[in-house]
Amino acid sequence: MSAESSAVNQVVMGAPFWTATLLFVVAYALIVSEKIHKTVVAIFGASVMIVLGIVSQEEAFHSKELGIDWNVIFLLVSMMVIINIMKPTGAFEFIAVKSAKFAKGKPFRIMATLSVVTAVMSAFLDNVTTVLLIAPVTLLICQALELDVIPFLLTEALASNIGGTATLIGDPPNIMIASKAKLDFVSFLVNLAPVIVLILIVYILTIRLVFGKKLLVRDELRRRVMEMDERATLKDPVLLKKSLLVLAITITGFMFHGMLDLEPATVALFGAGLLLLLSGIKDPHHILAEAEWATLFFFMGLFIIIGGVVNVGLVKWMSMQVLNLTQGNLLGTSMVVMWFSAFASAFIDNIPYVATMNPLIIDMARQLWPDLSGLELLHHPDLMPMWWSLALGACLGGNGTAIGASANVIVVGLAEKAGKPISFGRFMLYGMPLMVESVIIATGYVLLRYYVLKI
Amino acid sequence: MKARDLMVPLADHLKPDNTIKEAVNLLRSAKRGEERVGVKGLPVLDAQGKLLGILSMGDILKAVYPFYMPMMNLGEFAWDGMVESLAKQAGDRLVETAMTKEVITVVESDSLMKCVDHMIKNKVQRLPVIDDSERVTGMVYERDVFFAIVRAMLQEGKGKEE
Repeated sequence: MSAESSAVNQVVMGAPFWTATLLFVVAYALIVSEKIHKTVVAIFGASVMIVLGIVSQEEAFHSKELGIDWNVIFLLVSMMVIINIMKPTGAFEFIAVKSAKFAKGKPFRIMATLSVVTAVMSAFLDNVTTVLLIAPVTLLICQALELDVIPFLLTEALASNIGGTATLIGDPPNIMIASKAKLDFVSFLVNLAPVIVLILIVYILTIRLVFGKKLLVRDELRRRVMEMDERATLKDPVLLKKSLLVLAITITGFMFHGMLDLEPATVALFGAGLLLLLSGIKDPHHILAEAEWATLFFFMGLFIIIGGVVNVGLVKWMSMQVLNLTQGNLLGTSMVVMWFSAFASAFIDNIPYVATMNPLIIDMARQLWPDLSGLELLHHPDLMPMWWSLALGACLGGNGTAIGASANVIVVGLAEKAGKPISFGRFMLYGMPLMVESVIIATGYVLLRYYVLKI
Repeated sequence: MKARDLMVPLADHLKPDNTIKEAVNLLRSAKRGEERVGVKGLPVLDAQGKLLGILSMGDILKAVYPFYMPMMNLGEFAWDGMVESLAKQAGDRLVETAMTKEVITVVESDSLMKCVDHMIKNKVQRLPVIDDSERVTGMVYERDVFFAIVRAMLQEGKGKEE
């Protein structure tokens, strides 16, 4: 039984339905509880789905609708490889120190500059990677300025989640949405980047109100920062040039992938392959080993688990409930999707959340427009705001709590290592209002752009 | 030759609630044999004499080394006086927060080769010797292992005669 062949408004709630639902709920609960590592839960849950025959191995490995989304996997792994090759060139230390000097060593200006740099980098790189590249330099700079590093780390994590929302490759939810909804890089840029720029500006103004006045530094300490030589870390200028070239080719490729009829994963894989070749690395073992395999396998397992509950009709049933609730009012649905996604993502991992929501939205579309299929269905003008609402809600929502996004978890971990733990409550005190602020802006944007101006 | 023939009986030790400042003072003036010339590492013992860890010169270096330094290439950006100001802060920390907790130990009846094996595999320069009740009775130092090897080498001819 596949979701497509089942009767339009009928879900058969037999034994497979309840087995898959139980598996899904237990897996979700275990992931949220963090009692067992989420990757272990995902791999085991996926294997049980296949063993019980809820999805066949063929479907799990090869079906576009029910199986592993290789687009997501290859895009992620390729970007990880590119960054791993680039890391030793010192480019990231250069950018961070250069930013601090650009800010003339003045604390709030450093905070604002590093937040903007983090946001822009996060738009093109994984958020966790970006934070791990900017945070160590931030810790050093705060040591030099004898400042409390916590506000700096906090604002960077939040900025990285905001910036990541702007592009197709910025945040995993967007990668997943793009793949399922067949949306290209330019659509994401055109639809999301404008509101993200606005959100970022308001964000910087807000953190200025919150932290701006408290930050003062003696001139002799500022000199420590101004005397740092950012060029000193550029140890391998040849590899740096090659990396920048490949990065430029890859990003250009993303811009035109729709036109070239290439999937984003193809573009990224080409970039990774090219840089591996150009870098002249003799043994790629350690570069490949450093990819975050736990994350990648989490995705793979998750896709299979979601495939199972799609196959038995649970997701379809859920989508029917959403439609009943909003009575087919699409504006209402899109607002519910955005705000529900924001609060859901603040407390649970937005990756499993979006993995569940994608098929749910597609099912909803099927019920609304039963005669349409393919791109006509996925890109129905009335459905488009739903995708953007999902992306905005799920990505921005991560800022709500310390566990809302992986970048937050990393920053909390670093703060603890620095001997200045950030409590769950303290993170929320800053994160939640800033998250709500950003989602309010996003709501206004979606209403205005898609329902009033209709552009 | 066995660990018991090589070990130096335990003279000084640290307590987990010593400050690092107190610890470095003791490291500087600890007994080595009969003289107070300082040692490069001392065991940390609880009130019952049980081994909790070891604090060595390397641990002191680590105590002033910020955890974020090895995450990236940041040595280039350090400023004059950085270590000095971090050293002042580190001085008040307790020994238990800076000591190496996973200590490789030997017992008195262990062979010399077992000591060498530990030292090479685990890259350590000193091995606490413990008795049945996990109390430290002495220390085997790399330097004394070296002299044992030297003696064996130079006495080779004599050994054959016997």
